[in-house]
Formats: sequence, C-alpha cells, structure tokens
Amino acid sequence: MATSTRPPVVETIIDTAQEEAERTRERMRKGLDILLARNEPPVGITPKDVIYSRGTLKLYHYRPMTDEVYRVPVVFVMSLVSKPWILDLTFGQSFIQYMLAQGFDVFMIDWGIPRPEDKNLKFEDYVMDLMPACFEEVQKATGEEDYSILGYCMGGMFALMYAAMYPDAPIKCIACAATPVDMTGMGLFRKWQDPRYFDVDRLVDTVGNIPSEMMLRTFELLRPMDRLGGYIRLIDNLWDQQFVYGFRIMYKWTNEQIPFPGETYRQFTKELMWENKLATGQLTLGGRRCSLEDVKVPVLHAMAEHDHIAPFAATKPLLELVGSEEKEELVLKGGHVSLVAGKNAVTRLWPRVAEWMSYRSV
Amino acid sequence: MANQNGTSRAETGAPDVAEMWRSWLTETERQLNSFFGEALGTEQFARASGNFVDGYAVVQRSLNQGMERYLNTFNLPTHSDVVELGERLHAIEDRITSLEGAIRTLAEKSGVDTASNVTKLRPKRTRKPVPKDGQNSSA
Repeated sequence: MATSTRPPVVETIIDTAQEEAERTRERMRKGLDILLARNEPPVGITPKDVIYSRGTLKLYHYRPMTDEVYRVPVVFVMSLVSKPWILDLTFGQSFIQYMLAQGFDVFMIDWGIPRPEDKNLKFEDYVMDLMPACFEEVQKATGEEDYSILGYCMGGMFALMYAAMYPDAPIKCIACAATPVDMTGMGLFRKWQDPRYFDVDRLVDTVGNIPSEMMLRTFELLRPMDRLGGYIRLIDNLWDQQFVYGFRIMYKWTNEQIPFPGETYRQFTKELMWENKLATGQLTLGGRRCSLEDVKVPVLHAMAEHDHIAPFAATKPLLELVGSEEKEELVLKGGHVSLVAGKNAVTRLWPRVAEWMSYRSV
Repeated sequence: MANQNGTSRAETGAPDVAEMWRSWLTETERQLNSFFGEALGTEQFARASGNFVDGYAVVQRSLNQGMERYLNTFNLPTHSDVVELGERLHAIEDRITSLEGAIRTLAEKSGVDTASNVTKLRPKRTRKPVPKDGQNSSA
C-alpha cells in the first residue's frame, strides 16, 4: 500500500471527516427508529409467573435459572413511584436476572398502576394488608417459613415499616437501595412542599391520585437540564448502537411515570415530609407505633452519593435509626437509577447484595 | 484514532474538538443544573409553585364539576360513577380472592395437592454460599 505523503494533520482531518460521514448515516437511521418508535428495546423480559394478584397488585415468581437455589426466597418490593422493570431492564442489565443466576429464588411485589379507586390506599394498606398477604403467598409457594426482602427507594421504606410493625415476622434480612428515611434531607422536594405554600389537602381532594404528568414534571424540575442534555448527547451518539439502546430503555422508563395514590401522597407529605415522623419514631400505622428502632433483622443499605431523588442526606441516617445489631452500608458513586441499573450496579451493587444475602439465605 | 500513516490524533497534537465540546456540554449542564437548583430552592419558587398547584386544583375542580353536570344532564355515567363501580368491582375481586384462599386451605386440609405446576417444578433449596476463600460449596 502506498504511503500517503500528506501531512499528519491533514490525514487526521480526512479520517475524522470520513468517520463523521459514517456516523451521520448511522445517526439518521437510528434517529428514524426513535422518531417512528421502531425496534423498541424489550424490557422486563425475565420469565415469571403471577402467583397472586389483588387490585393492581401482582406478585411475580421468577423462574429459577439454577438447578439448586438458596433455601430462603428473596422478595423484591418496588417503589410506588415508578414501574418495576427498572430492576429487570434487559439481558445483562437486569438485577432480577443476576440474582436468579446467583441461585436465589426471586419474587417481586409490583404495586401496578393505581386506578382512580385506589386513591384511598394508605401506608397501612400497603404495609399491613397487601405485603403480609404477599409474604403468605411466598411462604405457600416455597414451603419455607422465612424470606428476605429487597426494597428499592420507597420499597425499602415499606420493607422497614413492615419489619418494624411485625417484629416477629420471619424476615431473614432486608437489603434497601436508595431508601430515604430522614426527610429533612430531601432537598428541593421538601422546599417545594413547604406547608406554608403547598396545600396538599386541596390537591388530593381534587385530583384523587396525583397525575403521572405532575409526578414526571416534579422529578424533571430537580435537574431541569437533564432532558435537554440527554437529547443533545443522544444526537451526538446516535451512531452508537449501545448508547442508543441504553438511552431508549431509560427514556422509556422515565417517561412511563405512573400516578401516585392520593391518600398515600397526603400521608407522605404531612407525616413524613412535614413532620419527619419516620426518622423521629412517631409514625403510627393503623393506630400502632411504627418505629425503625423495632427493626431487628440484619440490614444492608446501599445508597448513591449523587442521588438527586433520594438525596444522600435523606438516606444516610437509615442505619443509625434501625435497631438491628447486624447492619452494613454501601455508598456508591452515581445517582438514584444508576445505583440499581447502571455500570456501578452490575460491577458493584449486585455482587455485593448477592454475597451479603447468600450467607443469610441458607 | 489512527490515520493511514498510523499516527494517532494525540500524536499529531491535533485537538479533539468533539471531545472538547462534550466536556463543555457536561460542564455547562452541571452548572446550569446547579444554577436552576439554587433558583428552584428559594422561598419565592416554593410560593409560586404552591400558587400554581392551588390554581391547578381550582381549575380542575371546576372542570370536574362542570363535566359532571353536563354528563348528568345527558344521563351518562360520570367519573365518580365509574370510580364507584371500580370500587365495587375491587371489593368483589377481594371477596373472590379470599374465597379462593379459603377453598385452597380446605383442599389442602383434605389432602388435595393444590400446588401449581410451576411450583411443583421448583429446584432443590439446598444451595450454599460460596465460601469467602473462593471455593464453591454449592456443587
């Protein structure tokens, strides 16, 4: 091959131009895919069976991936704020699949999309009615008395409330991810819900469930430039199959925001945001005190340093508040979502959680 | 990236404009988020957003009431009627679920195998954790 006599700088410019032309072709092709919603990446694809349902709630039992599983089943408890498939994104990026591959028998409580008639559901209904019913079904399905719980975000809060309300429940251990407990650390959320200006009663009495659009815009306001920045990065990386795939999955998850049950929102705002009752041990559910001090089972808490939804200041005090003797925290870089579904998660969170739970699952 | 002479961009000393632009974008986004974060964290914004939510609730309520009157006039089911129907269906579903549970308990007590096919195919629950020295004891 003849050696070019052009100066290296010119060579570089020509190469760059060729590369950019190639990328532009790819950008146009993938851009059209997105605009026309073609080739949508599949999500939440790990095979599962619905073993119990009630209203919008579904209890999934994932099909095992190993011939031998740990004795104690793991029940994932999802947040009320978003769809649960963030924990089961796609091949190689699924927390659920990872746990199955590690030999766990995995269940998940999916609260579903609240219907208008679900506006009256409160913490009590989730913690003292629906969760116990699900755990009973898990016990029946596995034939095992005890179970472990893994809660993400508000799911972690539910898991802790359940453990506090039922100290004798056969919970083997609890792993929480990005679970806020001290609402004084909730940053902008807390400022926007200032009781002097925010009339939660008027809002809930009028709309019932908080509309998904309102929830979505509130989350977006926490970092107003993220959406625009995301679009610019998408255009820049439209040639990159992997980037586009990841973007489309996360875009889908972010935009598929679900409504928030009205009474729970009222309770969350008044009792947790305004009065911080969970952290101060003054919360009562169904007339009974719900204090995190009563949580005595082993607890692992994973949190993200740059979490803007459940800020570090709100998640950090969890271990100080629970009464468990055996407790451990894991602080990772990244944000609320990347904690459980990003690169950090695949290499750091998932293996750590699996290892921690494995010793408590026999 | 290497060109046909095998010299990379770094070796030629040519600046990577695209990379510089990306860094600028990231930094600008961070700064703007921080700027807006401060602006949105003020008491003025909290008051404004509170007023907005109040206004939204007032408009929504009058729309709901207007629509309800309109639908009643034409003898059509309103949103509250549908919600009420949903609640009743929900109650029926709950009853069915509890009846199913009761029947299953009775069947189990009578010695009938009620486990689903999926449940019957469960693997052994004898797995052991990998010891910390790296030897697998589950096999």
